[in-house]
Amino acid sequence: MNPAKEYAHLFSPQGGDDAENYRAPGQITFLRAPHVALEVEALRAADTRFAFIGVPFDEGNVGRPGCEDGPREFRFASQEYFPYWFEYGVDLQGSAVDCCDVSMPKVNPTLARERIYKAVRIALDAGLVPIICGGDRSISIPAARALSDHIGPDQAMGYLHFGAHLDMADSWAGEREVSTCALARITELPNLKAENTAHIGARNSFNPKDHIDLAKARDLRFHSMFEVLDRGIGAVVDEATERVWDGTAGQYLSFNLNVMDASAAPGVTAAEPGGLESREIMQVAGRIGARKSVSLIDISELCPIYDVSGTTSKLAVCVVLRIMAALAQQRGDTVDPAIKRPSAT
Amino acid sequence: MSTTPPQGWTFVPHQHDGPAAHDRSDDHINSPRLHNGVVKSPGLATFMGAPYCVPDRDAIRAVGAKICFLGVPWDQGQIVRAGTSSGPAGIRDASTQYFPYMFEYDIDILTFFKVVDCGDVPTVPGNNDRSHEYIYQYITECLEGGAKVILVGGDHSVPIPGARALADFHADGKIGYLHIDCHLDSAPDWGGITNTNGSGPARALDLANCDRANIAHMGSRNGLNPKDWVDFYIDNDIRMLPMTEFVERGVEPCTREIFDIAWNGTDAIYCSWDTDSLDASCMPGTTAPECFGINAREAIQLARIAGTYGADILEISELSPIFDVSQMSTKLACCLIYHYLGSRARTLRDRGQA
Repeated sequence: MNPAKEYAHLFSPQGGDDAENYRAPGQITFLRAPHVALEVEALRAADTRFAFIGVPFDEGNVGRPGCEDGPREFRFASQEYFPYWFEYGVDLQGSAVDCCDVSMPKVNPTLARERIYKAVRIALDAGLVPIICGGDRSISIPAARALSDHIGPDQAMGYLHFGAHLDMADSWAGEREVSTCALARITELPNLKAENTAHIGARNSFNPKDHIDLAKARDLRFHSMFEVLDRGIGAVVDEATERVWDGTAGQYLSFNLNVMDASAAPGVTAAEPGGLESREIMQVAGRIGARKSVSLIDISELCPIYDVSGTTSKLAVCVVLRIMAALAQQRGDTVDPAIKRPSAT
Repeated sequence: MSTTPPQGWTFVPHQHDGPAAHDRSDDHINSPRLHNGVVKSPGLATFMGAPYCVPDRDAIRAVGAKICFLGVPWDQGQIVRAGTSSGPAGIRDASTQYFPYMFEYDIDILTFFKVVDCGDVPTVPGNNDRSHEYIYQYITECLEGGAKVILVGGDHSVPIPGARALADFHADGKIGYLHIDCHLDSAPDWGGITNTNGSGPARALDLANCDRANIAHMGSRNGLNPKDWVDFYIDNDIRMLPMTEFVERGVEPCTREIFDIAWNGTDAIYCSWDTDSLDASCMPGTTAPECFGINAREAIQLARIAGTYGADILEISELSPIFDVSQMSTKLACCLIYHYLGSRARTLRDRGQA
């Protein structure tokens, strides 16, 4: 609780000539956070926790196009929320900055991945938790490498993925860094052990046999949707987070929106039936918050051209904000209930 | 009827011949080696990428197919809104996003069943009777060819000729009939017409070798179920399992109950599964989407349990891609068939019947 802080943003608008208007967002940033350049010194000076970084990259995608519009829509949807989350009693204002988008070259995925890697490294070096918003699922490959290098070879890293597909192709049409190869590359990182890796939500038949074979060969623990149905999402997330946070110096939380049921998230590159319901995200967020810290978050495959009424982009924002809020609550960073709306003058 | 029947079941993975052909026998169940495969270069748009086979009993028997996919692009037997004539095309397109390997059952359903796509049943505009006759004939060819049938509609009048074909194929035995649907569909007639999509179970009961004790309905709800439809089940003592009961008891006991009814002392069963039995949130692409239905997860469980029982004809009807959102309905319909076949193959393999 910071006595020097202003708290008007927690409340309904007061009106008047210079009142801030909920429907006039001004500069469109993630959660109306200030824009800060992606430089270590500037980010350190910002004295915050999360660095939101858009990654409008679609060239690692093997299926339907469109997720390069994900970051733009994500920022827009975030404007519809207050930074105050009553379920957790927290105020997220001031806990993030928006570092704009990673500049993406056309038809040069190698250069694009180098830039993603560099962006994530800078935010990590500045002591912040990067939230990278894709873009296709392959953005996790350079991001995971950045976290791995940031932690260094002497410490262990954890990786938790939510998604419908295992993405364990050693290669796909000869390519080795596309979205279907993401987890195959990430499980090759030197400081990521199988016992600190988990996958939740695999289902249906965009999981060809070589993916399953490689997952087994690398002892990847994947919780299929049938397992989630049998055991409940809470028990599965508890087991997975126990692995990922067990003795690790840094944890990567990776969230492909196709883990959600297609009815809850139609605006996804490969919307899949039979997945999580949106209410189950509340359970997931609380359990991740209970781990008290996370080093890197990604959210991928938001594909607004297939969306309906902003359903998916809003859900994507909910996923990220709920995790941020649950973490803040666990840190004890809650709003003093004595703070009340100031009287209008 | 046909040209020379093909000799044996041949399959070109990802439907690509030529310089970049995926020519290994396991190419279709693994990540593509040379190009994006079926995902973005589907080649011939068959269901599951399966080889085409003429719908002729000798041809089907010659290739040894155990599953024939048959499309029924027919939507003039319906009483609500059109669009299901695009159902077969929609599901074929959605199937390009899936591999025939199903990790949940560790099985390659395409090779296991030697699946073939027999194309679409021809239909006659404005003539429900003649179109139904073609449906009857084409299904009969598949059954006579020694295959089970995956039938994709098309409106829900399809089971009328479909169940008749199965009943006649088993003329010396008995058949069971299941109707999973939001609507009871038991009109004796609709404005005097007896074979619309509102009369499936009523016509099943007319079949000489389909006993009322082997007929069941599941998933009924909401207000497009006029009183005479309900009376049909009560008066004939036919099991009707409404959505309220499904919600109370859960997917597994309910599914087991209706399949036990259909298989009790019968030689074959027809399973008619209307996509509007599913909730409108996961199945917007259907003729009459309805709230309070079976959700996607439950539907996939239902398909998995159905696979342990089997059906001689599994029909998915009322799939209407023009009302779909982000392909969620066509992909779900595709998943229902894939999970049914995966579970069926696994059941047969575990019994040593592979």
